Amino acid sequence: MLDIRTLVSVDKVADFERNPHVPIQTKPGPSVEDSGYLHDPDVQLMLRAKQGDDGAFTQLVKSYQDRLTNIFYHMVQSQEAAEDLAQDVFLRIYRARHGYLPTARFSTWLFRIANNLASNSRRAKGRRKEVNLPGSESGPLGANPAEQLALEKSGLMPNRQLDRRELQAVVQQAMEQLNERQRMAVLLHKYEDMSYEDIAEAMELTPTAIKSLLSRARENLRQALEPYMQLGKEVK
Amino acid sequence: MEKTLRLSADQREDLVAYLDGELPDQKAQSIDQVLARSEVARHEVEALARTWEMLDVLPTPKAPPEFTERTMTTLKVGETPFVLAEQAWFGILKQVTIATVWVAAIGLSGWFGFKATNLWMSNPTRQLLEDLPTLQKLDQFQEVESKDFLERLQKSQLFHETSEKG
Repeated sequence: MLDIRTLVSVDKVADFERNPHVPIQTKPGPSVEDSGYLHDPDVQLMLRAKQGDDGAFTQLVKSYQDRLTNIFYHMVQSQEAAEDLAQDVFLRIYRARHGYLPTARFSTWLFRIANNLASNSRRAKGRRKEVNLPGSESGPLGANPAEQLALEKSGLMPNRQLDRRELQAVVQQAMEQLNERQRMAVLLHKYEDMSYEDIAEAMELTPTAIKSLLSRARENLRQALEPYMQLGKEVK
Repeated sequence: MEKTLRLSADQREDLVAYLDGELPDQKAQSIDQVLARSEVARHEVEALARTWEMLDVLPTPKAPPEFTERTMTTLKVGETPFVLAEQAWFGILKQVTIATVWVAAIGLSGWFGFKATNLWMSNPTRQLLEDLPTLQKLDQFQEVESKDFLERLQKSQLFHETSEKG
């Protein structure tokens, strides 16, 4: 008798055993009519764009431009680079419109492209030699806001209410200490409210891997930010 | 109540999924029981939840107002079909080709004209070459006063026997 485990991953089998009413996801057939995602309004817009409706594509751009810019900003720490990457995502989607088939939610597909572009961008940035100058003007607390606040907390400097910008700098630094995958998973979950399954599909990982990523990421954030939780409560 | 009861390593791994509502019911109930009994565990959960809330202070930059129009224009430009005749290099190549053809045509015409002229028009030099034997004996021929006399002399065969004997 053929063992189903030879056909699907063990994770999917475990999911099915827990939730037998949820069908195992297999690769959908090529027909648009067979797609289970036609209820997605963004999929409908994309199908119209496929037929040549540029107005429909414009609506998609307007819907996602801010969301993409925000995600990319937190990945590459540059507004200009974030806008360029967001535009690249739309360019790739536009070029692929003639062969578009709704095999996933539109947002899942879009953020999968975004994840790939962010990875490519980081790799390209790593290849370029960059000189890191002392970031004395990088923020209100200077180059190392965590160290600055630690000094204040230790009593060597007078305690004071934490400025929102200062807390922002501390949180940003904590985010930058996460690795690329952890950060992307956190951003997709925080800002896009995506489920573990959707994040897994966007990042081309399993839901179990996403659970592990988010667990480690949030533990890292907790360790970095716990000293400032009291200060954070006193934000102006 | 066991205030110091801590989460196990597996439970700590599941804690974030528990907060996100992504744990299966059985595991979630297990965490609930630990949290109900342990103050330390509740503190850990609160710290994780609070950390998550702190991310709300992060900036959320938006795309500029002209982003949509700029993007659609970029997309449309990228879709412009490639027309060979509209390329700058093609225009230059076309002009160079036409000039080359004209030069070749003129050159060829000139060569053919030269050859035709040589064939159909008289060449004084050629005529001179053909008359050269006569010119070489011109002194002797000038001593003969008339041509008729030479023709009659030839018909008389007066010198014919002499040449055969000689």
